[in-house]
Amino acid sequence: MAAAAQTTGVSAPTFTDIDRQVRRVLEPGGLQFWAWICFCAFFICVAGALWTNQVYSGLGVTGLTQPTMWAIYITDFVFWVGIAHSGTLISAILFLFRTRWRTAVYRAAETMTVFAVLTAGLFPIIHLGRPWFFYWLAPYPNQRSLQPDFRSPLVWDFFAISTYLTISSLFLFMGLMPDVANARDAARGWRKTFYSLLSMGWQGTDRQWRNFSMAYLLLAGFAAPLVISVHSVVSWDFAMTQVPGWHSTIFAPYFVAGAIFSGVAMVLTLLIPMRKIMGLEELITPWHLDNLAKVILLTSLIISYSYVCESFIVWYSQDAFELMTFHQRYFGPQGYLFWMMVACNCVIPLLLFSPRVRISTAWLFIIALFVNVGMWLERFVIIEGSLATNTEPSQWRFYHPSVTEIFITVGSFAWFLMLFSLFARFMPIISMTELKEGIQWLREALRDNYRRAA
Amino acid sequence: MSEVRLVASFADEERCVHTIERLREAQVRPQVFSPIPSEKIIDALYERPSFVRSWVLAGGIFGALSGFALTLGTSYEWNLNAGGKPIASIPAYLIIVFELMILCGGIAGVAGFFFTSRMPVTEPLAGYNAHFSADRFGLVVSCDEAESARLEALLKEGGADEVTREPV
Amino acid sequence: MSSNSESTSRAPAPGAHEPIQLSLGSWTTLAVVLVAVGAVGFFLALWQGMAARAWQAYLVNLLFWMSIAQGGVVVSTAFYLSQGRWAGPAQYRLAEMFAGFIPLGFLLFWGMWAGRAAIFPWVLHPDPQKTMWLNAPFLFARDGAGLLLLTLLSLWFVSASRREVVREWAKTPNNIVLPPNIMRRLSPAVALSFAFVYSLLAFDLIMSLSPQWRSTLFGAWFFATSFWSGITAMALTAVILQAAFGRRVVFFNRRVLHDLGKMVFAFSVFWVYLLFAQYLVIWYGDIPVETFFIVRRSIMPWLPLSIAMITLIWGVPFFVLLGRRPKRTPKILGSVALLGLVGIFLEDYVLIVPSLSPEVIPYGWVEIAVTAGFLGAFALCAFPGLRRLMAASSGPFAPAGELE
Repeated sequence: MAAAAQTTGVSAPTFTDIDRQVRRVLEPGGLQFWAWICFCAFFICVAGALWTNQVYSGLGVTGLTQPTMWAIYITDFVFWVGIAHSGTLISAILFLFRTRWRTAVYRAAETMTVFAVLTAGLFPIIHLGRPWFFYWLAPYPNQRSLQPDFRSPLVWDFFAISTYLTISSLFLFMGLMPDVANARDAARGWRKTFYSLLSMGWQGTDRQWRNFSMAYLLLAGFAAPLVISVHSVVSWDFAMTQVPGWHSTIFAPYFVAGAIFSGVAMVLTLLIPMRKIMGLEELITPWHLDNLAKVILLTSLIISYSYVCESFIVWYSQDAFELMTFHQRYFGPQGYLFWMMVACNCVIPLLLFSPRVRISTAWLFIIALFVNVGMWLERFVIIEGSLATNTEPSQWRFYHPSVTEIFITVGSFAWFLMLFSLFARFMPIISMTELKEGIQWLREALRDNYRRAA
Repeated sequence: MSEVRLVASFADEERCVHTIERLREAQVRPQVFSPIPSEKIIDALYERPSFVRSWVLAGGIFGALSGFALTLGTSYEWNLNAGGKPIASIPAYLIIVFELMILCGGIAGVAGFFFTSRMPVTEPLAGYNAHFSADRFGLVVSCDEAESARLEALLKEGGADEVTREPV
Repeated sequence: MSSNSESTSRAPAPGAHEPIQLSLGSWTTLAVVLVAVGAVGFFLALWQGMAARAWQAYLVNLLFWMSIAQGGVVVSTAFYLSQGRWAGPAQYRLAEMFAGFIPLGFLLFWGMWAGRAAIFPWVLHPDPQKTMWLNAPFLFARDGAGLLLLTLLSLWFVSASRREVVREWAKTPNNIVLPPNIMRRLSPAVALSFAFVYSLLAFDLIMSLSPQWRSTLFGAWFFATSFWSGITAMALTAVILQAAFGRRVVFFNRRVLHDLGKMVFAFSVFWVYLLFAQYLVIWYGDIPVETFFIVRRSIMPWLPLSIAMITLIWGVPFFVLLGRRPKRTPKILGSVALLGLVGIFLEDYVLIVPSLSPEVIPYGWVEIAVTAGFLGAFALCAFPGLRRLMAASSGPFAPAGELE
């Protein structure tokens, strides 16, 4: 049967075809792969060296100064937390909605979530003057009964991000178990030991599946509101203040939509090269990409709505401080950043209204890159711009990044890409189990009737 | 009377489910191995939903209560007016409560899964083979030697690709 | 409905696969009577010098019933966009059932021109900083234009949705084929203009009643509420139909009820999330120009109504529908949906009336009569949709049976 399937795989893949394609990725990587890992590691080392210097010399080596004490590091933090959101959207929320196209892409998205949270979590610590005291955020028993102030949004952040990291890791781990068991049964040598340990002895018995399905469903049910809460909490770091440009009730849903927007764009940024390099075109089809593109389009429209609403209410309120901050945001010295952001986030994604663009990998990749840039800029414009033009015009000063901050940002991308690449090499990056479960949809997507319908 | 174990493998989910139903009619409870989560197989074998639900519920309630205890307890222990907000700032504390509810509920769910599934397992279960994590559904039946011929016929009739017989 | 109700016995009734023809004679009479009561009550109130109360009740009812009708249509667009086909054409007819009220709502909106002085505080006491936005001609021009656009698009959408080719698509749940082109173009158009126009309505018809107050999320919260009220009205209708016709309608299928129940649950949680997101920011920021709106609604006499609203829209659906079985039990789902609609009505009331009458809760024959009038008009507009729904949800296609 396996032999027959190899020839007919294109039109009607079988279980064996799926296994064959995913397992092929797990075979030992070549020199190119390790060269890429070293390339990433180099930038991580540069960032590490600069950070060591920053710890030694103090935050003066950054561009931070009064009144703009939050800038690139916090922008990076919010950006990476945002990237983390699409994973849980695709794996949990779309799971609850029984969406069919999530099967081929959710593992990659979920992996991205975990590593993006790991990256994001570094930035508040990098941003500290005395990073070794970061544990002061956590409640722990101590002699003077001192506890964190639970009214502080930064403490909410600590709880939200830790919970998110824990739950999304558990969710990833749970979903991996059946696939790792599959890899275990095909592997040899140290890989067999490694997969055996990770699979926890999964054998797909009826008892295991019954409890697994329930646990997975409930985890998804918990992860869905969690993902919304996490970026809401991040947005409340800003909205709880009275800083003009930050204090706005729309921030929570607006940040959540923006997070999903940037996250799905990052999924596309990673998936499109990955499916090419690893030869996964038959598993990640135009049908999957088309649907991801629709999510980008929807969230792009939501954040455009938010920009319009925000501006309208500022004008409607006739609040002098808000009006001034927004005037500076649009037409001030750094106004070009705002208009670049509008182009990237609101205008360019409109191309996705065209079905032809949505199934063209080249177009999608380009649009996704623009969205990544645009969403990074959005956070920068909100965070830096509002602080630089606060309620005391005499204090106004715009921020300029330092080399340290730029290279630490670059290092964070390298760190994220390295982790993701390693994972994609050693773990089943596509859920074989779920692809098989919904194999009829994959067959339909491959039968080319999708392209014609689109 | 010696016992034997019959291991049947199926390529097709429908046939596997059908055979399970036939076996159940014959008062035999097979052990099933499946490469995919199959609602039909679970429905054919179990009446009630998994007990993991209760674990998650208990974990969630515990997390929510500990969230209230942590925030309210520490605030009242150190009565400190911060930012003109009340000592019991419930709207703010609800966030901590929510996060802890999710955290504890989620961890309890995973723990409950391992407990109810009797995992981790270190040895392969009787009758397991590598195909059952990849492309075959497996049914394993243990029975008396005398009964085995009838069950083997039943398995083959149900559409099993192959049925192997192992001594226990 | 009662004239044609079928026994709910388990054996398939003779002619079980015939589409059900409704004769709504007595119900139509009742609805006409209600409309008459409403009209008489409304004009009597105006005549007796209770113009403020009459217009407040008018505005509350207008927004409430329009939200259901328009929310339902938008639920249908959401079905097309997500290619939902769990109940075939029936789920689309169910969502579009109330669309008949949309054009009437548009006409009734213009009625408010007559009562603008009684409704909008800034007509008699203009706020000099905001007259550019808050003046009656511009308000009616922009909201009227928006509503006109939305009404026309919705009617076009609803009629396109009933075409043969679209119905055929809705009957094929087991493929990944996208809906016909016309639906793929109209659905986003309706959904987008809905978001835009209903935000505008929220800012103009509710927020501007307290001209100092603002909340950026308010528009989005209002249209999310409207979406939810469409869903609850759908769930309630489905439960009533399965109680009346049993196995002969698709809503007898517990899976369909389960799906409706999940939507009621999910969007109720979403509603409270959006409420909390506004409350927390305002509570924490503690800026008087923002807090007064909430303070007024969280002290007597309005406090009980505010609590009741949150309980009915979030508390009851959340705790009752958490499990799987309640979503599949028609009586429970129906009660939750009915209470949810009451909650939405209270929400509109609590958002609008305290801005105009902060000290006392106005209620009495005026409010009851106006509400009755709107209910009657809404029912009359929904009857054609109900007939179409019956044709789609019964008959040979309906996958009834399956009790579980």
